[in-house]
Amino acid sequence: MQSGLLSTYNSSARSRGAIGWIISALLFAFYLIIYFTGIFDPIAKSLGLGGKWDMYGVLYTIAIVGGGSYFLKIHGNSRYQRIRTLSLMFVQVIFAFSIPLVMQMFESKGFIFSLFWPLKLDYLSPAYILDYPILIIVYAFIGSLILVPIMTFLFGKRWYCSWVCGCGGLAETAGDPFRHLSNKRSKAWRFEQFSINFILLLAIATTALIIINWGLHHESSQGEWVTDHATFDLIASKIQGVYQFFVVALLSGVLGVGLYPLMGSRVWCRFFCPLAGLMGLIQKFGRFRITVKDDMCISCGNCSTYCEMGIDVRMYAQNNQSFKRASCVGCGMCAHICPRGVLRLENKWDFAPIQNDSNVDILDL
Amino acid sequence: MKYVIIGNGVAGINSANEIRRRDTSAEITIISKESDHFFSRTALMYIFCGQMSQQDIEPFERDHYQRMNYKRVRDEVLRIDTNNKTIYLAKQNTIQYDRLLIASGSVGRLPGFLGEELDEVGNFVTWQNLEWLQEKAKTAKHACIIGGGLIGIETAEILLLAGINVSFIIREDWFWPIALNKNEGDLITEQMKHHSCDVYLKTDLQEIVERDGHVAGIKTKQGDEIDCDLIVFAIGVRPQTDWLKESGIVLDSSGGIVVNEFLQTNVDDVYAAGDCTSVVWFNNVRRPEQLWYTSRDQGKIAGGNITGDKQIYKRGMFYNSAKFFDLEYTTAGYVNFKLDNEADWYQHEQGTNYTQRITYLPDNTVIGFNFIGRRWDHRPLMKWINEKRTLDWVISHLHEANYDEECMPKFTPLTIAKEVQS
Repeated sequence: MQSGLLSTYNSSARSRGAIGWIISALLFAFYLIIYFTGIFDPIAKSLGLGGKWDMYGVLYTIAIVGGGSYFLKIHGNSRYQRIRTLSLMFVQVIFAFSIPLVMQMFESKGFIFSLFWPLKLDYLSPAYILDYPILIIVYAFIGSLILVPIMTFLFGKRWYCSWVCGCGGLAETAGDPFRHLSNKRSKAWRFEQFSINFILLLAIATTALIIINWGLHHESSQGEWVTDHATFDLIASKIQGVYQFFVVALLSGVLGVGLYPLMGSRVWCRFFCPLAGLMGLIQKFGRFRITVKDDMCISCGNCSTYCEMGIDVRMYAQNNQSFKRASCVGCGMCAHICPRGVLRLENKWDFAPIQNDSNVDILDL
Repeated sequence: MKYVIIGNGVAGINSANEIRRRDTSAEITIISKESDHFFSRTALMYIFCGQMSQQDIEPFERDHYQRMNYKRVRDEVLRIDTNNKTIYLAKQNTIQYDRLLIASGSVGRLPGFLGEELDEVGNFVTWQNLEWLQEKAKTAKHACIIGGGLIGIETAEILLLAGINVSFIIREDWFWPIALNKNEGDLITEQMKHHSCDVYLKTDLQEIVERDGHVAGIKTKQGDEIDCDLIVFAIGVRPQTDWLKESGIVLDSSGGIVVNEFLQTNVDDVYAAGDCTSVVWFNNVRRPEQLWYTSRDQGKIAGGNITGDKQIYKRGMFYNSAKFFDLEYTTAGYVNFKLDNEADWYQHEQGTNYTQRITYLPDNTVIGFNFIGRRWDHRPLMKWINEKRTLDWVISHLHEANYDEECMPKFTPLTIAKEVQS
């Protein structure tokens, strides 16, 4: 029920034209500077902000609210899109930005309630989380290990990825103009299946190392935090550093956002995010699916084109196959944009086997 | 075994896939004059307005032909000799076949007016039509679209988006009377006017006005004179079978290839599928179907049968969907088929563009549905028709067939007063 036709490809910025490449280069430059230099610190201080990461938080929130307003103008005629986008904007402004800020005024440390392990490894890292009040510690554990799996089983990973998450929030709002640039080829799908599970394993292994290493520490008689396993300590903190550098800084920041105008807005979420990978595994066994109405598809390809996760939705639609895909974040754009109303996002207590990642007719790829 | 398929559209490619599924060693050749890659014809409008790229509208990845080992020939077929099983091409010499499947599709119709040969007059059906329209749209200021159907309204929508004024010349009393009643047609007309489309109802084209070898406008029988520099005829499509006239393959009066229930022509080893094929409808009328999903189904069945299967192609109950600007349309069953004594239950949800029409017989058995605005699942609707459900039963269960996006206001039929028309 999209109103009016989109003129996406008429814009150089949105079709990998010169402007698209320039935007990408600027984003790369911005992320490299903010992660690896202190250039933004004085600028932030002159604006009355604590440091470069506070400035980043302000910019990020502006991008989500501004991009979200633009999105609502185009797709707000769908109530699902409207509620979902308002939710993303609300969570960013309140939970990701304001509450940590207010907490910093009263306590020493802010806490982001809209993040969970393993997107944020710290939340299961004893050294980090035990600094917080007991309620927050309980929230981080229960949220990550119980709330996330249950919600994902009930509603699919969309409850988080396209309703709550900050990375998803940027992708769905400021990143929306680039959603069609995701790679739809089966090669990209095969890479995704490898990479996302690899990073998930890496995240779990790193967390395990962090916890074991913490367990091997004890308080010395001088009151210092020491370990008798210096080599292990060294390796553990090296691996933690490598994870922090490659996964958090490079993949989620520099590449994840820098590639928006070239490979779409969900590069991080689709290929690398460990939380998305974990929820994807649950989603395949959960209630959420995309239902396909038989024999009504005209294979136009709007659904596949505008799938930010690069799912070839048309392949399922034209074969009359309702499906569950691990990567689907349930943004609902395929259903929204379909000119024949073929697709419908649904949560159903129905676990009869349907098409999923592993049983696709080779003729159809 | 050497299979040749003429046509690289939805019927052609689906038949090729079915042949390959059954015979991995068959030699399969696909001849097309239109395009190298199978694309979705229904999506040409989205390329025009920039919503999709050329590759976006191709349902298979580009290496499909190579992976399936299909040989492609980009050429026009001039004629075939079914005695010697030979195909004569325009650019190359000839191709031999053991079995031939014709899926040559259809082309836009032209009514035969003086001035049709001008460069600014055309259809919007084929890839070449798209290229033509893209070129013309660069300079066009005002377009006239002749013909009140689905291709017409889609063309109007994309031309308006390109900043071109549009006059939509419709011969009938309201838009698309073959599918819509007057209330529904008026609703769509309002929608078009809302999008600044100039709609002329009950208006017939009389003359194309020419100046210096270019289109300058049109005159209508009703006395309108409209200046324009682009004319698109959207008065339906006809089977692309002119090249078959001398072949001995039987065609019907519209040019459709006559086939039996196995989609086999009167000539041995020659099958046909898709828009170019004339099949028997549920009401025993023989004519081409010219819908996307029927072409696909025919292609699948003809592809199986040409390898030796004996599947029967049987056209079931009618159903379809469409979109008029922002308004979606779903139909199922026998609406506007003028069966005896049918009556309509009709409601227009207040303050919206949502309408529901249910057609039923004097004994209250429901036979058809016509819906605008909301989304509907045609499967339960068709099931209810088969089960011969009564109007009251259907109205009280209608919400079960609602297929709106999540979070949409729920459809509650019983809260709205019943309005009956005949």
